[in-house]
Amino acid sequence: MNFRLGRLGIAAAILFAQAGAAQAHIVASRLGDFYAGALHPLTDLQDIILWVAMGVLAGSLGAVRGRWLVLVFPLGLLAGLVLARISGALSAGPAMNAGMILALGLLLAAAARIPTALLCAIAFGLAVMRGAANAGDLGPETDRLLFAAGLACAGYAAITLIMALTLAFRRPDAGTSLEWRGIAVRAFGGWVAAIGLMMVGFALAS
Amino acid sequence: MSSRIFASLLAVIGALVLAQPALAHEQTGVGGGLIRGLLHPLTGMDHLIAMIAVGIWGAQLGAPAIWVLPITFPLVMAFGGVLGVLRIPLPMPEVVIALSALILGAAVAMRLRLPFAAAAIVVAVFAVFHGHAHGAELPSAADPLAYGVGFVVATGLLHLCGIAIGTLTRWPAGERLIQGLGVVIAALGGYFLAQSFGAAA
Repeated sequence: MNFRLGRLGIAAAILFAQAGAAQAHIVASRLGDFYAGALHPLTDLQDIILWVAMGVLAGSLGAVRGRWLVLVFPLGLLAGLVLARISGALSAGPAMNAGMILALGLLLAAAARIPTALLCAIAFGLAVMRGAANAGDLGPETDRLLFAAGLACAGYAAITLIMALTLAFRRPDAGTSLEWRGIAVRAFGGWVAAIGLMMVGFALAS
Repeated sequence: MSSRIFASLLAVIGALVLAQPALAHEQTGVGGGLIRGLLHPLTGMDHLIAMIAVGIWGAQLGAPAIWVLPITFPLVMAFGGVLGVLRIPLPMPEVVIALSALILGAAVAMRLRLPFAAAAIVVAVFAVFHGHAHGAELPSAADPLAYGVGFVVATGLLHLCGIAIGTLTRWPAGERLIQGLGVVIAALGGYFLAQSFGAAA
């Protein structure tokens, strides 16, 4: 009886050992490159910090100024992707990325009321930089159209959601009782600027 | 004998079941760098108590210190971090870090009400030294960016923790409790100071 139980146990354990992870998504099938484009920036910490900082900056300036980024940011990503494919320049370099983190952080920490045109120019420049950096994942077999569509959709969704969340959090019309929220956004900017400053130092040192 | 083989077999199969694939993507250092950065200010007692004391003192001083502090402190500390990254030495860093806990603890214990500019200068000097100690570790981190994120977030959260504790000053009993905490921080700072002199001797 014990021997049979032992054999059953071994058989069960071998079955467990053989089991692989279930791949329930369609990443590896015909829309795989769309997901590759959409997910690639979300797996890079630099993209996450820069996109979040950009979204928070636009959201802290209000809906009227920030709403332009819904269009400008994804277009910039596409422009960067195309530019990288044409010119072969894939990355702006660590110092440039760190400098951008520092600049966005300082603008947030200082609660700078920058004009809409300047905000759009910064967002477009950042998106071109990051679009070009994300082009590094394009292989010879990658469907470029699907990859670009995925990247643009991710940029659109991320920047819109972050701006909306910042606007909802700030509620500048709520009066003095919620002033601390503006301070919290500025403190977040201080954190971002600190990270950027250290990375500028690191880029200069290496 | 057969039972031993059976047990060994089960152990081997168990190890196979628990095995995870190794991922060689360049972002695999993010987790390690982030955790190291988060833990660096938390595992060094001298850093931890000084950061909490900064938050409490800011809360005791009230506006504008209470809101200028969380905005500017990380930036000043990052400046010290850059000096550390660039391997620019600072004089007696261990002594000054221990001194920061002693002085900030004493300021909390005595409810020292310095003018805002003077308090800002005191805190800024200490921030540079604390940042230097953290920044020196950055180049060797698995992912320097993640390490930077981790240590800035941990430091900011320690300040917030200090500010939250500092809000107890609204009640007389809370004020006494905070002053007692200041005495403990100052005493620990004194201990670290003596230790750093001992290490230097």
